Amino acid sequence: MLSPFRRIAIGAVVSLSLVLTACSGGGSSNAGADLELSDKPVTIRATWWGADARAKLTNDAIAAFQKKYPNIKVEGQYKDWGGYWDALATTTAAKDSADVVQMDELYLASYADRGALYDLGKAKKIVNTSQFDNEALATGQVGGTQYALPIGVGVLSVVVNADLFKKYGVDLPDDKTWTWDDYARIAKELTTKSGGEIHGAAGAPGFDAGSLKYWARQDGGDLFGKDGNVSLKPQSLVKMWKFGLDLISSEASVKASTMVEDQTAGITAASLATGKAAIGSAYNTQITALQKAAGADLRLLQMPRAGDTKANFFKPSMYWAVSSQSEHPAEAAAFVDFMLNNQEAADVLKTERGIPANKEMRGHLEAGLTGSDKAAVEYMNAVTPGEAPVVTPNGGSGIEPMLQRYSQEVYFNKTSPEAAAEAFIKELQGEVDAAK
Amino acid sequence: MSSINELRRLPGSQRGARQQNKAAFLFLLPWFVGLFGITIGPMLASLYLSFTDYNLLQPPRLSGLDNWTRMLHDERLHKSLGVTFSYVFVSVPLQLALALGLALLLDKGVRGLPFYRSVFYLPSLIGGSVAIAVLWRTMFGTTGLVNEALGLFGIQGQGWISEPGTALSTLVVLNVWTFGSPMVIFLAGLRQIPTSLYEAASVDGATRLRQFRSITLPLLTPIIFFNLVLQIIHAFQTFTQAFVVSGGTGGPADSTLFYSLYLYQRGFGHFDMGYASALAWLLLLIVGLFTAVNFWASKYWVFYDD
Amino acid sequence: MTDRTATAPRPLAVDRAHAVRRIKRRMRVPLKHVLLIACALTMLYPVLWMVVSSLRPNSEIFRNAGLDLTHLQVENYTNGWNAYSEPFSHYMINSVIVVIGAIIGNLFSCSMAAYAFARLEFRAKRVWFATMLVTIMLPIHVIIVPQYVLFSELDWVNTFLPLIVPKFLATDAFFIFLMVQFIRGIPRELDEAAWIDGAGHARIFFNIILPLMVPALATTAIFTFIWTWNDFYSQLIYLTDPDMYTTPLALRAFVDQQTETDWGSAFAMSVVSLVPVFLVFLAGQRFLLRGIATTGGK
Repeated sequence: MLSPFRRIAIGAVVSLSLVLTACSGGGSSNAGADLELSDKPVTIRATWWGADARAKLTNDAIAAFQKKYPNIKVEGQYKDWGGYWDALATTTAAKDSADVVQMDELYLASYADRGALYDLGKAKKIVNTSQFDNEALATGQVGGTQYALPIGVGVLSVVVNADLFKKYGVDLPDDKTWTWDDYARIAKELTTKSGGEIHGAAGAPGFDAGSLKYWARQDGGDLFGKDGNVSLKPQSLVKMWKFGLDLISSEASVKASTMVEDQTAGITAASLATGKAAIGSAYNTQITALQKAAGADLRLLQMPRAGDTKANFFKPSMYWAVSSQSEHPAEAAAFVDFMLNNQEAADVLKTERGIPANKEMRGHLEAGLTGSDKAAVEYMNAVTPGEAPVVTPNGGSGIEPMLQRYSQEVYFNKTSPEAAAEAFIKELQGEVDAAK
Repeated sequence: MSSINELRRLPGSQRGARQQNKAAFLFLLPWFVGLFGITIGPMLASLYLSFTDYNLLQPPRLSGLDNWTRMLHDERLHKSLGVTFSYVFVSVPLQLALALGLALLLDKGVRGLPFYRSVFYLPSLIGGSVAIAVLWRTMFGTTGLVNEALGLFGIQGQGWISEPGTALSTLVVLNVWTFGSPMVIFLAGLRQIPTSLYEAASVDGATRLRQFRSITLPLLTPIIFFNLVLQIIHAFQTFTQAFVVSGGTGGPADSTLFYSLYLYQRGFGHFDMGYASALAWLLLLIVGLFTAVNFWASKYWVFYDD
Repeated sequence: MTDRTATAPRPLAVDRAHAVRRIKRRMRVPLKHVLLIACALTMLYPVLWMVVSSLRPNSEIFRNAGLDLTHLQVENYTNGWNAYSEPFSHYMINSVIVVIGAIIGNLFSCSMAAYAFARLEFRAKRVWFATMLVTIMLPIHVIIVPQYVLFSELDWVNTFLPLIVPKFLATDAFFIFLMVQFIRGIPRELDEAAWIDGAGHARIFFNIILPLMVPALATTAIFTFIWTWNDFYSQLIYLTDPDMYTTPLALRAFVDQQTETDWGSAFAMSVVSLVPVFLVFLAGQRFLLRGIATTGGK
């Protein structure tokens, strides 16, 4: 038995030396090609971000899993979004990561490239991927390796408050044909007809990576190329920001400062949800939360089009992945399989993490959906997406706050769109280079 | 006062330097264990990391002075230094002045003293709550309370918290609003001043202003000094407040990009822990310099009774 | 609650000067109260708004900056209380355990260290004092990773130990510094006298210094309570199992930017979590008044 002082002293030395030498990643369990489940009692940890509603559903699913695999005990751990990434980085750095982790598109490559995630290709016997489209599977691949599986998918949509349209006598647009010019015109009309009571548009593009991706893709480009470098063209950025600037200056949209406020407030407290604007942008899966907060007739419209390019895309709302530090990758993989492929789990989890990327589960759930959930699925089925976008490369995880910063500079008239576009691309590429 | 000073050096204080060494060691033992067991290791580790390229997930690689030279050209770092310095220089004096003023007001026998003290302290209690973010937006947002109040006077308001020009000012207000901690320390300090001194002064016919200048203020200087040093350190490290308005981005347009926030963004947002560690040590040097100057200057204005 | 100016014996003074002063004082008192009440209202408004919002339906919280309540939504409290697998009290009890441990630790270790720094002469004192100050200055974000490694080596992760043990080792140097400043304010003739009577350092510390620094100890206890109760970051990192979660972790988990946040419940539980802090402050502030002023000094 060591005395407490000795232990502390040893701990201090260990902490220092661990950081100094930081033993190389990957446990020994990573070596075997084909994983086998053991029948001995095993405890694994699963961690995710989200609020209490998600925690309840996930714990119910865990209970069902434990019934099916009596020898595996799953400890569920949840955090809020910001805290989740701090904790995940810290525990991973200390080689103490949870076995099963919920991943986001922004961070996937950052973790995968640095060897923090387990290659699910080695768990083919345990994780069934037959019910996933190739496009869906591709969203979880980094450098050709399947590091994560998408849980749910969403697509960009325009959300309109039909009640406000009716109130001010403005017709809903035909979303099969409308363009960004129509969008601006209608928004302006709403502002005018309401006498300034409301604004037409709840925001301008450039506050989330999704909207930028859409504007890049409608020019036939994208944010990142297959080589993992920034492929975004400055013209696309300039076009997007000029469109936003026009919205703001013509008062078709809320003021730039309101957009900033909405950004920090979260979607259920922003202008669209509080009825201060009639048109907004969101992922189709967010309609249920928006609807509830707004207490009005909200509808999903297709994104405006510029030409014939299929600019929209399926965005995985989140993934399940297994940590490379897991001592029980087989059991962790079994849990991932259960959460994605098991009907019992789907019945519990429903669409809380997005509309299932698993086709069978989506079909299974579709019949039972009502109201806005049903509308979200119907909307998605009506979208023909373009080619799947490249996963955000290592180093690109900070793209969203970076984009917001530049958008704010442009929308507050501190920089010209042209100068900002140049600087943004340079800074983003710099981050990607630094992470190589 | 002079009589007290003459009493200082009794023979007792010279008794046994060795014995004092031993006693001091025993009294400091828990602190020594903590320092060497818990604090020093991680601190030295971060110093080492400041000379490496460390992305948290892979072993650090030595990179010499790269992180340090990079600071020279890092515009966002310079921006964050500007934000932080202006915040420190405005909010600390304001907060301390308010805290001291109200502490003095409350100290002089007011009926309902416990009530006032608690009320003034309440904002500091909710400072760490999740509700504070929403609260502050509701106060300083475009349709917030401040603008409604201004509207009564016919003044057209703006989104105080979301305009780059004013966002930082709302954070200064937030900091001043939570002046409860220094106020409580001031109050405790005021209570420690012996009543007998005031009694003696009254007998001598000293006015209240005179009493304040020659008794209260000098005897309170160690506490004023303490609050000054600590509030400066805290203001340099401001983190939570920045999260309040911008959700951690430092927006709008980097106008609330506090130093610690930038450091945190580098370390955890960009997996750039080597650079973040270097930033931490630069902060330590800056704050250390301020503290050292403070201590040096304290010789001229802080009064100790020993 | 003794009022110092009131209990202090009035010196004999010339009648007229006395009267003038009395009138002045009479004027001063209402003025002072007007000032204080105005301040109090400004300070309190946001707090009241929070309480009122906790009784509002979700949709109304962001649209109303006033204090009027149209329909009372008491369910926010019941919903919030039962939002997790354990009732909210579970997380509050966890917080109480951490807080009590931290308070005892800080009072014990910081007062000892402070006595040494304030009253004893020892080798390299200035260096150690500077070291202590430096430890306050390093931001937590860069030491958290090495520190996490240390505590996980000791197998302390997911226990309350990383949150409590450091307090027993005086790592909150803020309080050492605070107490040093207070001890230096205690007249030295008191311990000199005891020294001459043959008292050792232990006796001087326990019998003279500690009783005289009750306000500083109370300040330490109250601050430790509040800061630990609100501390989010270290609890987030070290407590992983939801059963071990403390109040701030549970509160944070209400908020989700991407989907729905039940703001009503989040506010309601924020209010609930404030109650103990407020009560502790109400009870504890009594001790802030003790000390030389009321123990009689000499």
